[in-house]
Amino acid sequence: MTNGEFLDRFRVTEPMLGQLTGAAISKGGDYSDLYFEYSTYGDLLLKDNEVTSGGFHIDYGVGIRTLKGDRTGYAYSENTEMEDMLCAAKAAAQIAGSEGAGRYPGYDHTGTPALRDFYPASRNWRDCGSAEYIAALKKLESMILEKDGRAVKIIAKLSWSESEIMMYNSYGELSCDFRPLGSIVATAIFSENGKNENKTSSRSFRMGSEMITDGLLQEMAEEVVSGIDDRFAAVRPKGGRMPVVMGAGASGILLHEAMGHSFEADFIRKGQSVFSGMQGRRICDPSISIVDDGTLLYNRGACNYDDEGIPGQKTYMVKDGVLESFLHDRISAAHFGVPSTGNGRRESFRYYPIPRMRATYMENGGSAQEDLIASVKKGIYVDEFSNGQVKIGEGDFTFYVKSGYMIENGRLTAPVKDINIIGNGPQALADITGVGNDLVVDNGTWTCGKDQSVPVSCGIPTVLVKSLTVGGE
Amino acid sequence: MTDMADLITQQTMKTDKNTAGLITGEEKELALHCMEAALKSGADQARISLSKSVLDTYGMMNGVLDKVAHSADRSVYLYVFADRKYGTFSTNMLDRAGLEDFAGKAVAAVKLLAEDVFRKLPDPERQEKNACDGRELGLYDVRYQDISPEERSAIAAAECIYGKTEANGKFRLISEECEYSDSVDDNFLADSQGFRGRHTETSFAVCSEITIEDASGKKYSGYWWESSPFLDRLERGRCSAEALDRAVRQIGGKRGKSRTCPMVVDRSVSSRLVAPLFSALNSASIQQENSFLKDTLGKKIFSDRLTLTDLARTPGKPGSRLYDTEGVATGNMDIIRNGVVETYFTSTYMALKTGLPPTVEGVSRPVLQPCCKEEDCCPHGSFGAREIIRRCGSGIYVTGFNGGNCNPTTGNFSYGIEGFAFRNGKITHPLKEMIITGNMTKLWNSLAYAGNDPRESTRWQIPTLCFENVDFSG
Repeated sequence: MTNGEFLDRFRVTEPMLGQLTGAAISKGGDYSDLYFEYSTYGDLLLKDNEVTSGGFHIDYGVGIRTLKGDRTGYAYSENTEMEDMLCAAKAAAQIAGSEGAGRYPGYDHTGTPALRDFYPASRNWRDCGSAEYIAALKKLESMILEKDGRAVKIIAKLSWSESEIMMYNSYGELSCDFRPLGSIVATAIFSENGKNENKTSSRSFRMGSEMITDGLLQEMAEEVVSGIDDRFAAVRPKGGRMPVVMGAGASGILLHEAMGHSFEADFIRKGQSVFSGMQGRRICDPSISIVDDGTLLYNRGACNYDDEGIPGQKTYMVKDGVLESFLHDRISAAHFGVPSTGNGRRESFRYYPIPRMRATYMENGGSAQEDLIASVKKGIYVDEFSNGQVKIGEGDFTFYVKSGYMIENGRLTAPVKDINIIGNGPQALADITGVGNDLVVDNGTWTCGKDQSVPVSCGIPTVLVKSLTVGGE
Repeated sequence: MTDMADLITQQTMKTDKNTAGLITGEEKELALHCMEAALKSGADQARISLSKSVLDTYGMMNGVLDKVAHSADRSVYLYVFADRKYGTFSTNMLDRAGLEDFAGKAVAAVKLLAEDVFRKLPDPERQEKNACDGRELGLYDVRYQDISPEERSAIAAAECIYGKTEANGKFRLISEECEYSDSVDDNFLADSQGFRGRHTETSFAVCSEITIEDASGKKYSGYWWESSPFLDRLERGRCSAEALDRAVRQIGGKRGKSRTCPMVVDRSVSSRLVAPLFSALNSASIQQENSFLKDTLGKKIFSDRLTLTDLARTPGKPGSRLYDTEGVATGNMDIIRNGVVETYFTSTYMALKTGLPPTVEGVSRPVLQPCCKEEDCCPHGSFGAREIIRRCGSGIYVTGFNGGNCNPTTGNFSYGIEGFAFRNGKITHPLKEMIITGNMTKLWNSLAYAGNDPRESTRWQIPTLCFENVDFSG
């Protein structure tokens, strides 16, 4: 879509946009921006052997924000009639009229990386008939059933969205972005000897409907059934402090929760993060580099622009063991006098942007996975986490382990499940004593829920943490 | 700020000319027109839900106004039943022609799905008859219409203690975020059988999050909130003090030794242990073989001491509602009585599909009744954490959960916790980085005490709880 087509979509002209940003800073604001959104969503659900429910959803509106120093005024309109948008702009403008004026106008970010398209969709979801999507869900179900007859229930969901986003700010910068997102989630419940276990596989990409291929469906079906024997046999281990080997891929959620959030610069600006004031310091082994990346092609966390019009980029949070950068939006960047890292993101036009992660992962180290496992006399290996939570100030985290194995004398032994791992983010980072060379960025349906929901992804190579608390019997 | 008052008033009045609620007669007519358009396009039955809400938020950062946000939402959800097929659709673009197009496309999309003979609107006899103006449950505070931006700002400011709390050798206050918000939600539900329902409620809330640093540079945070459907009943001016207290009490916290002992769970977090029960009692989970409470209806599964009721029709109380999302009338009913499972939450669809008796789609305002393990005990007066800890003697008092999960199929759970050790009925020291593990059925069979102290402001009325023989890992 061209910029002109975006303007037509929202029934506005550039002079109208200038009038709106002008109104939003008319009370003395330092900066204002507009975020127009037209999103369509579709979903189809397979349950009890048939695709018997589905629907589509439409969301349209514009969010208007005024900044004065660190302060935010925000309002939105669910239509783009000029009268209503001006009303919202004037409401947002009022923040500047409150006591204590702002200190700086430093929201300008010229010189940021050049724009690239990280999600060129070749087949729009809206243009393809749902018959094709229904057939894909049925095929996925058949593939799972063929692979394991113990599957007694299969739930498979396909959902997609296409968002037309247009941003404009008081510097006169117009940015437009077309954002496709497709997701498939399949859960099977297996029954054996009167016991039930479930397993889930998901894939999500910023792609058009070309993402649905037989290869992808086969990969998901294989993932759903793999390891189910171990799931039935799994037990809770005896708890205590022990070494933990994190499997490559989805274990990266631990990076996201236990470290990543504490790097988000709104928490730094307010002094709330455990990493506040530590930029430039060594915080872990030199073999460790952690990035937050909006430039992975078709990745769920990819951003051509963030939601403040800053082009997508790759940011080193930790480089060679040293805390390199926090994750900034325009407010925190202005506060600290640094360029925005393009992390200003939001759920929809109903929310103002805040610093959020994109694809967060640890880069490869030099160890082989088998060597890391072999180095542990007694511990656990974790290959699937869920339900992580972190306390930003303290850095304390807890993760639920859906599946893993005991490590005894350097070998994987009994399967384990339904346990928690608990620790402290900075301490766990400092306690990493081995980093594998097998980085996997997980393409599951990861969604971060910091006040608002945004799509993200995560990844990690196999990593050895020398000591964490494992909750067990 | 007077300009802002005018602006927001203009915005509100635009959709609220008669001040009887947010939804105007014209918008109701539009919603019904959309439903009619679906029927004309080939739907056999249809339901429409029109929702509008307004939310104003005033945030303070370290004693200074930091954020002002005004939100006004409206949306239409259309539920289409056509040729024994079913789909759900929504839009916030509410122009007449657009809605007709939307309804036509919705029906066409439904017809591509597979048949599901169990999809039907509920029996009209089961639907609520008296939700006419949305005010029947008394959850709308007329004060909402009069509250000014200046008043909102003042309420937020009154929560702040930043700059008023003297530093001491024990800790330093790093940051304080306080917020005041108020909202009104208005819902109009209609279906093609003639059901019409309206529910309107206001909400007022304050909260505070405090971060402190101890003498060694370690950070601790505390959070507290209060809310009420009524402005005059909102407990104000104490959130920051409570949040600060909760942060300070954690100083010096350390991992405790692994042990099996009584667990007292504070009323502010005890609902975390009740939520898995409601998930497991949902017929959709049971039908999908994903519930540890399958085949338990009418059976004694839990301790005699566990009685959970749903008091959905209590006037003036948060969570009360006259009808569920199908328009089915709620009722005050037992969920679990003396350990016996009395109710599965069963929608019309799940009832037809499973043969279970239809009830309501989910819980509204659950109330867990007080109890204690001593047979002659009948709690009178205040029966909360202090008294329960005194009776327990020694154990762990949980004041927060940090991550974790409950396996819906087996009921096995593992949660991170924080709180305090207590001995001889007195709190001794803070604990952190500990985990509880167990099984939900077993846990609720070890219920020793339930207080009579649920927070007035919460929809789920779950008091302080005490369980015996809980496994803690440290």
